[in-house]
Amino acid sequence: MKVSGELRAEPEVIRLPAGARGRRMLALLVVTGLFLAGTVAGTDNWWPFGPWRMYATSTPPSGSVYSLAIQVRQGADPTWRNANLTPTSIGLTRAEVEGRMPRLTADPGMLATLARSHSRLRPKEPPWSAVRVVRNEALLAGGTPTGQVRSQTLITWPAP
Amino acid sequence: MKAPGRAGSERPARNQNQPADSQNQPDRSQDSPGARSRDWAAWGSGWLARGPGWLFAPVPLARVALLRRAVYAFVIIDVLFLHTSGYYHGWADPVWYQPLVMGRILHLPAASVLLVRVLRVGSVLAAALALTGRVPRLAGWATAVGWIWFQYIAFAYGKVDHDRGDFVIALLVLPLIGAAAVGDHRRSEAAGFAFRAIQLTAIATYFLSAWAKIRFGGLGWVNSATMVRAVVRRQTWFGDQLLHVPWTLHAFQWVLISLELASPLIFFVAERWRRRMVGGWYLFHAITYAAITIAFWPHLVMLLAFLPLEQYHPVTAARRARNSRPRVRPATTPETTS
Repeated sequence: MKVSGELRAEPEVIRLPAGARGRRMLALLVVTGLFLAGTVAGTDNWWPFGPWRMYATSTPPSGSVYSLAIQVRQGADPTWRNANLTPTSIGLTRAEVEGRMPRLTADPGMLATLARSHSRLRPKEPPWSAVRVVRNEALLAGGTPTGQVRSQTLITWPAP
Repeated sequence: MKAPGRAGSERPARNQNQPADSQNQPDRSQDSPGARSRDWAAWGSGWLARGPGWLFAPVPLARVALLRRAVYAFVIIDVLFLHTSGYYHGWADPVWYQPLVMGRILHLPAASVLLVRVLRVGSVLAAALALTGRVPRLAGWATAVGWIWFQYIAFAYGKVDHDRGDFVIALLVLPLIGAAAVGDHRRSEAAGFAFRAIQLTAIATYFLSAWAKIRFGGLGWVNSATMVRAVVRRQTWFGDQLLHVPWTLHAFQWVLISLELASPLIFFVAERWRRRMVGGWYLFHAITYAAITIAFWPHLVMLLAFLPLEQYHPVTAARRARNSRPRVRPATTPETTS
């Protein structure tokens, strides 16, 4: 884009010649089309043109809010403890692990990659010998949490 | 937000500067009906002759320089501190990589430690160069490529943030303007287009996210427990207070979608109201942050494109004031001789 050559200075306003205007208008039209298409038919895979669906899903007032926890065993210690689901600890975010649940269920061995990433990112901490995914469900009634939480182990590596 | 006093004091300066086609002018709001119809006629013939002038309404280069400072400073803060999940994807196993459409078209590989390090350092250096104002096109394009690729890596592992698509446009249009200095009060149509594109994208974020809510959440979204869910998951003090009064979160959803659907009105109001609406959005985002600790940071930077930034900058504002006074000045004043 050699815009500088196309600009000609006038006393106050630097004008843009017709060709440069046309190209910009065309680009704007294309981008508008992509954003509209993304909103109407796109998915997150279309980024940056995907739908802007922050907080767009509906939650039924008397359903439940669930969150996943990753629990690990360190070395030979048999107790399960909650592991940090943060990028600095496993290279992935909580949502990214949550989003791959179908794949994880089919292939529990993927949990081993979390232990490996953890060892590379936190070499000074004890390595993880076992990893499991636990689902915690906070129950809602009338739009407020009841305080009741249900827990369930979904996937374990190595297989129990 | 303290606009009224300022707006009054700016009017004389503006009239000297041919206000007909500039952004952030109180165009139609204070004209007589005759002048208004002449304006419309001029606008109509201008459209036919040179394309829609509204898209290219000139913007002072000083404003460009100031917005660039905000944008490129934000890139540095964002890459180093705010949005670092992409960086750590360098350590995740490639089995977690799920290429987006963009990555399949451009054949972008899964992250590696080397790639994320190069992208992080590269984006920061390019943005730092852009901050100096030298080689604005080269530095601007390099920043755009680095930041967009870095975001791509953050998003190609299963979780896309929905607040960052619009900033891509800001990074892509800012290099189109070329050189701009804080002291430069010439106005530029290239800058006008870039600012309009940023404004349109920022507002599209609101408007189209209302659309997405209806698409994904259904018409029942406004009465669903979406905000309760968000607050339960994020757990803040302010959010917990709201949970005790559930109707507040319910009402918030109605207010939110109404504001989003009404957001394009900002293009049809006088400057004073434009500033207030931007202030209102900042207030809205502050409340959201207090309740669920989520802020759409890049978007907050883009909203600056609605404001006459050079009027807030101490140096340029002082120069404006000086220039609008009569040229005859005393040779020295006690304050300046020290």
